[in-house]
Amino acid sequence: MMLPYQCIIAACDRYEAGGNEWILFGVSGSRLVAQSSTGATSIWPAEEHPIEEPSPENEEQEPPEKRVKLSPPLEQKSNFSILRLSNDKKYLVAVTAEDKCIRVFRVDSEGRLQQLIQRCMTRRPCSIALTSDDSTVLCADKFGDVYALPLLPSPEDDQISTPPSEKIEQKKFVPSASLLTVHSGRNRKVLEEQMKQAEKGPSQSKETPKFKHDLLLGHVSMLTDIAYAAVDSRSYIITADRDEHIRISRGPPQAHIIEGFCYGHEEFVSRLCLTSSGRLVSGGGDAHLYVWDWSSYQLLETLPIRDTVLDYYRGHSQLALLLPQDTQAFKTAVCGIWTVPYGGSEGDEVLVACEGVPAIVSFKLGSSATIGTVLPLAGNALDVAFIYARGSSCTAVVSIDHLHRPGSTTEIREDEAMSRLQCFAYQQDGQWAEDGSIVEALEWFNRRAAGEPEAGSDGRAGGGDTVDEKATRDILYGMEKLRKRPGAED
Amino acid sequence: MPGEPAKRQKREEYKKALTSDEQNAALPKKKFYRQRAHANPFSDHALTYPKSPADMGWASLYPAYAVKNGEEGKAENESHDQTEEEQRRAKAIMKNVEIADIGCGFGGLLFALAPKFPDTLMLGMEIRISVTEYVVDKIRALRTQHASTSAYQNISCLRANTMKFLPNFFSKHQLSKIFLCFPDPHFKQRKHKARIVSYTLNSEYAFVLRPGGIVYTITDVQDLHEWMVEHFERHPSFERVGEEEQEADECVRVMKSETEEGKKVERNGGTKFVALYRRVEDPPWP
Repeated sequence: MMLPYQCIIAACDRYEAGGNEWILFGVSGSRLVAQSSTGATSIWPAEEHPIEEPSPENEEQEPPEKRVKLSPPLEQKSNFSILRLSNDKKYLVAVTAEDKCIRVFRVDSEGRLQQLIQRCMTRRPCSIALTSDDSTVLCADKFGDVYALPLLPSPEDDQISTPPSEKIEQKKFVPSASLLTVHSGRNRKVLEEQMKQAEKGPSQSKETPKFKHDLLLGHVSMLTDIAYAAVDSRSYIITADRDEHIRISRGPPQAHIIEGFCYGHEEFVSRLCLTSSGRLVSGGGDAHLYVWDWSSYQLLETLPIRDTVLDYYRGHSQLALLLPQDTQAFKTAVCGIWTVPYGGSEGDEVLVACEGVPAIVSFKLGSSATIGTVLPLAGNALDVAFIYARGSSCTAVVSIDHLHRPGSTTEIREDEAMSRLQCFAYQQDGQWAEDGSIVEALEWFNRRAAGEPEAGSDGRAGGGDTVDEKATRDILYGMEKLRKRPGAED
Repeated sequence: MPGEPAKRQKREEYKKALTSDEQNAALPKKKFYRQRAHANPFSDHALTYPKSPADMGWASLYPAYAVKNGEEGKAENESHDQTEEEQRRAKAIMKNVEIADIGCGFGGLLFALAPKFPDTLMLGMEIRISVTEYVVDKIRALRTQHASTSAYQNISCLRANTMKFLPNFFSKHQLSKIFLCFPDPHFKQRKHKARIVSYTLNSEYAFVLRPGGIVYTITDVQDLHEWMVEHFERHPSFERVGEEEQEADECVRVMKSETEEGKKVERNGGTKFVALYRRVEDPPWP
């Protein structure tokens, strides 16, 4: 079975001398795939040299591996969840979900990938960003914290300084309270357990990573996205969480200072996008996207994503069947916002994807359009990357879910062997038109790369290696889970 | 659980009797409001909170300070739909809340501070519903009892999870004092992130506190005291208030003696650990 590309990203320099060269990267399950405009291709981990999955025992005793494994042991099983390119396009930073690992790859001109370092965090990274000088990876995690890691550790970073709080925790065990402390019944029980534990010897403190990682800031909520912005000489970290917050903090080394919040969302925020002109577009479980002048925390406009999708569904008999009887109950969960990189003066435009929706929606900012423009797709939209194929035109490569029925995140479709990519070229008239030539050029990437030959074509387990339906769903879809359910416990 | 329905029924009857008679100025009885001492700050609960500080309806909490719309304004309002701006004006109050008691419990500190800062608005914030109701009922009773002097109009209480939503209530640099009295110690190591003081949460306290404002902490758990001291020491936005100044502060005396927990510790012969932190000016951008 061939998995869709859950993430794609392109390295492309519009003004590169000698033409428009690009490299497209994609992750399909646990495989990282690259194809360049020159036709060069690569897959990581290479079939014959899969890397070892870091085992928890190893982590406790020794720092994570810093060199590329040469011996081919167990197959790496963690699925990729995030892809980012450094600003100089020389490094690819990828996150694998299950092992919570941040991996840095060197990208050569042929698109070949060499893993330089992998660092496993204690909490699952939800989003990462790079500072504009490419020196630092900012990692936002499920527990609400943001850590700074050097992109590539310097030798000094190896002499790890444990943060003071962790030092204290590693001291000899002392019960947290005396008998004179006022207790609730529960606290007394905890204390008694601690006393018992103390007799058995020091408790096993949870392993903390041995590599350099500095805590910058934190929310008491799951973080969903992080962005780094530099304006003049000032830098900012923008973080979004499941509790409707968008927080603006100063960049390092003053990341402990909160400058302000962009208030307005009433549902979870899932994606942040800085446009070429510096606006912030945010989206999530709300019916609208919000466009911000984030440096003054002012809401500039709202974009009706839900109504645009609803309109599109109503116009298609197949999709209209998916609508709930009461269309008020129809909700969208934004899973991607991308700024279109014209590099020109045409103004800001964003492309938006919603979870389980077979379309990309385009909004032109400041146009006060009541509805977005829909680009219908043959499968649910997963990710978008931009390349410049020829001249000044820009092509959006969209990865689509070819396994599930369009509009559904659970039902498997019957027609197989569909394309995993669709491409749209930006036209002179400001519209997008399907572009078959790029899809053709990406034939290998689209149809062949990272298939699992040992699995039967009927999708059932061939070598015990096939990813089952539930696991596939977990790789591709998770946004709607962020929505709070009414009547939760009190 | 046997006994539970009877308990609930009694509580409901009691509370109905309390609210049915508006003139009833009798103080509420704590036994009808007891609730287990812990709440999970990470769970969603069914909380209500404003979208932003500007959306907060303070007027209903501090009616004596509500901005009264003139007759003129009213007539105008009837002619067209209220805009968001007008709705906000209707919620406005003459002055902002300046003191927050986070995890106010049964409100001992608020009731003691109310007469000491008669012109300052103070807000108790508590995550447990029943306990919040007790404070709200007690404030109502006290306001009724003191209708002639307008005492206790400056304190109020609401249910909130401040660890998540503090910036929804207060704008940047709004507060002059924050009290964190006898917080849940969360002894288990894996629960430490649930503690009300941490390096990352301190950034939010610094955001809502004005430079020069003070965070008051008190606990009888030495381990927690050391934790709080360590996390505030580490945070560049705070500096510790010296012992002399600390002991001269009237609020410290009140905090030690007037809170419910403070009294309990006194009876047990326990030790009270106090630490005050002043919010310093933000440094210039690098």
